[in-house]
Order: sequence, then C-alpha cells, then structure tokens
Amino acid sequence: MNSRHALLALLAGGLALAALPWLLSDFLLALALSCVMYAGLAVSWSMFCGPTNYLSLATAAFFGLGTYVTAWGAGALPYGLSVLAGGLVAAGFAALIGAAVLHLRGAYFAVITFGMGELVRHGITYYEKAFEGTVGRIIAEAPESTTVYWMVLLVSMGAVAAAVLVRDHRLGLALRGIGSDEERAQTLGVNARRSKIAAFALSAFFAGALGAAMAVRWTYIDPLTVFNPFIGFQTVLIAMVGGAQTILGPIASAVVFGLLTEFLRLQFPYLFLVILGFLLILLVLYLPGGIASLFERWRWRRGNV
Amino acid sequence: MSEPLLAARGVSVRFGGLVAVDGVDLDVRAGELVGIIGPNGAGKTTFFHTLSGVLAPTAGRVLVGGDDLTGKPPHAYAAHGVARTFQTPRVFKEMPAIDNVRFGLEFAGRTRQHAHDAFDEAETILEFLGLADVAAVPAGGLTPSRQRLLEIGMALGARPRVLLLDEVAAGLTHAEVDASAQLIRRVRDELGLAVVWIEHAVRVLMNYVERVAVLHQGRKIADGDPRAVAKDPAVVEAYLGEEGEPERRAA
Repeated sequence: MNSRHALLALLAGGLALAALPWLLSDFLLALALSCVMYAGLAVSWSMFCGPTNYLSLATAAFFGLGTYVTAWGAGALPYGLSVLAGGLVAAGFAALIGAAVLHLRGAYFAVITFGMGELVRHGITYYEKAFEGTVGRIIAEAPESTTVYWMVLLVSMGAVAAAVLVRDHRLGLALRGIGSDEERAQTLGVNARRSKIAAFALSAFFAGALGAAMAVRWTYIDPLTVFNPFIGFQTVLIAMVGGAQTILGPIASAVVFGLLTEFLRLQFPYLFLVILGFLLILLVLYLPGGIASLFERWRWRRGNV
Repeated sequence: MSEPLLAARGVSVRFGGLVAVDGVDLDVRAGELVGIIGPNGAGKTTFFHTLSGVLAPTAGRVLVGGDDLTGKPPHAYAAHGVARTFQTPRVFKEMPAIDNVRFGLEFAGRTRQHAHDAFDEAETILEFLGLADVAAVPAGGLTPSRQRLLEIGMALGARPRVLLLDEVAAGLTHAEVDASAQLIRRVRDELGLAVVWIEHAVRVLMNYVERVAVLHQGRKIADGDPRAVAKDPAVVEAYLGEEGEPERRAA
C-alpha cells in the first residue's frame, strides 16, 4: 500500500469516525474518545520508537506540557490555537532534550526520558508554588464534548498521516537504518543526529497536541494528574502490543485495549486489572510481533491458498 | 602529479596507553588501487576507521578531495564520497537486499553523479555483483559471502570517489576471492575510483593491486610496488617475527 492509498483510507476512516457523535450515547462517545486519543499517542510514539528501536518514556512529559499550555492559555487563546501551541511547545522541548540525550541507547535512554517527565512535573509544581502561590488551575470555559472529540480525532488523524509520510519517505528509511545499525547508516550518509531529533520532535508534537486537546476534559488541572506516568506506560504498552513497526497495529491495539479495559472494568470490577495483566502476559508470550503480526499471518495464509 | 583524493597526514590513534596507529601518512589518487597489509593487530582496521570518520584520530589529519574532515562525523565523509565496507558484514538485516543498496543512493549518493551513470540504479548494482536474484530477500538471510558482496553494493550505492574495502576476501573460497578481486578492479576501471583495500591474505592482494602499504605495530613500514615491498627486509622481518612469512600466511 503506497502513501496515497493509505492516506485515502485514513481520510475515509476519519470521516466515518467523525460521525460518531450523532450515533453514540455520551458514555460510548467518551469511550471512543479514549480509544482515538490512545491510537494517536501510540502511533506518534511508534513513528520514532518503532523504526529506531528506542524506548521513550517521555510521552507523559509531552502530553502534560500540552495540557499546561491549554491551561495557561485558557481564555486568551482559542481552543484550536491552544492545541497547536501545545504541540509546538512539546516539539520544541523534545528537540532540546533530544539534542542532549539521543546519543544514549537502551535502558539509559528509557530512564532519562522517564526522568524528563518527572523533571517537568516538579519544575511546574515548583514554579506554581513559588510564583503563583497555588498548585493546579481551573479551566472554566470548556468546549462541548463533541468539539473535543473532533479535535482529538483531527490530531490523531494528523499523527497517522505523518506516520505514513515518514514511513514512505527518506526520513523513515534513515530511521530504519539507524534502528538496524546506526554507524553503518552514518557511513552511507545519514545525519543520524539530525534525523533522530527531527523524528523525536515530530512525534512529541502530536503527544503535546493531544494533551492540549484533552486538557479541557478535566476542569481542574494539576501536575500530578496530567504528568501521570501511567499515560506514558499505557502508550508504550499499546504500541508494543500492536506492533510498533507498523501503523495499523498500534491503532488496532488502542481500540482493543480501550474496549477491553472498559468491558472488564464493568463486568469484573474487582478482578479487571488481574485479568488485563494476565491477557498481556499471554499476548507477549504468544504474539511477540504484536497484533500487526496477525494481519501478516492472515495475508500470508490468503496468499498461499 | 594530481592532488590526492584521500590523504592521511600523520594519523595516530591511541586507546589509553596503547598506540594502535602511529603517525601514518598515506596519499591515494583517483584511479589508484592501493592495498594495505599487515599482521594481526597492526592497526589496519583502526586506520580505516579514521579514514571513514568512524573514529577521530588522536593526532594527525584526514583530507578528502583537499577538504580537512578531521573530527567530522561519518556522514560528512560519506557526503565527500568516501564509502566503506566492514570486516564483519554490517548489512541492514531486516531490509531486502535491494533496499540496502538503495540506502546509499538515497543519502550519500543523492547529490553526486558518476562520470557516466552506470551505477545510478540499485538494480544495476545488484546485477553487477551477481545478486539480482536475491534482490527481494532480507539481507540477513543471505549467505555470509553474499553479504560481503552486498556490503560492496551498499558502498557503491553511495556513489563513492574513494572506496575503502576491509577484508572483503576473508572467509571466501579461492574462486570467490578471485571473483571479488576481478570485480573490484572492474569497479575501479569503470568508475575511476580510488580504492584502498585491506587484506589479510597477502597473496591475493599482491596479485591485484599496483601499490601496497604495510602496517606493522601501527607504523607504516613500507609503501610501493608489491614485488619490491615483498622483498623489503623490514616487511619480511615483520611477518617472520610475528606469524611466519607472507607466502605461508596466504596459503
């Protein structure tokens, strides 16, 4: 499937999803919103981490920065501009931090990106205590829930479109080369540092924009809620279970996760985390290539019959 | 004489107290095919790392086409037309063979054109190397000797002016070694490249290069016509002292 076909499929899918507010109850729309948000986060994470084999735990930091941009700009900035600004702030932050730490690999990179999130959270808490006298802020005027849904859908679609374009162009090839053998890629002319920073910042843009778009869902924003490391872990988990080398895998995985979590939570309120954990172990053991490898298997079988 | 395409000036590399490369000078001109031999641990590969930017020399300078690239990252060397292979093939295992060759074409080779555009297509390069039938096979699935050939293809994809070959004949059969040597000469003749070829199998190299340099304990102890170099007392001494005379090593 080339870029054009993928983008057309995305557009069709996006238009269909845009109609959901007229079809679903408030409860189901909230569920759809969560699925679409995690799909966007997981795809943006995989855009950089999939081909390069980096493990970034910075998603929570980018997401949280985005929400804070909306919180700071509330009243002054229109919703759409807040989302854009949230993305840009996160991308700028990622470029800055990326320039400093992207030479690290493996566990070091994972730990330091996790630390970044904590640093930002404590930084903002300190700033608020020292200069504002209060921690957290209230968002008084929130757009309607359908508007939020459309905005999150738009940003997530943007993330998927960006992932398709990166995959099919030179940046994607460079990232795959870096993931396979960084030094070899460099000896063939790849400016590894620049490629990594660019892709890391692009991936952060969408995480930040999603944070900024979701901020208005909470009326009260404080660092502990929005820099929740759980958001970062959940994103990584979804992307890996889906298959971070692909684009469709993380999307499918986000939907499966969203629905499964909700179903288990309603049916087995006391056991749901236990069951979810058990399912995860099974998935990792028996489907190491992620959900995407199911498509591959199916395609392979169809091709051979 | 024309300006050297690749010039090493007093290149030294020290790892802590160990001097791996010690003040080596080497000039290579366009169209030259230069061999570098030396016993194990002579510093051949370390020297190559400095010529391709993989390792910055502790002292000395590396110039490509007259530009001082000392301390620049590998992609700057690639952009200046230096392409190399690695002793242990470092192909992109998950990518199809053809994408491995296309990789160089997309990056280092993007801006540069050969004198005649014989190698502008990944398909042509694979055909030239006899790898056309495995174009779609992931590179990690190829036999070691084919991965070695693919390494050369990846370097050619970068449209080099200087081709650095690190023991491309290692582990190949006699027939395969002969075929790769023919191939390397053909590449040099057709594209007018400067080729620097490191080899452990001395006899192979002596038969195919017009000039050979000998490294011993990090120093260059000889540089010139292969027949003269083979008789050089210092060279004979280096090989006898370390691991037997050159002919026996090659066998």
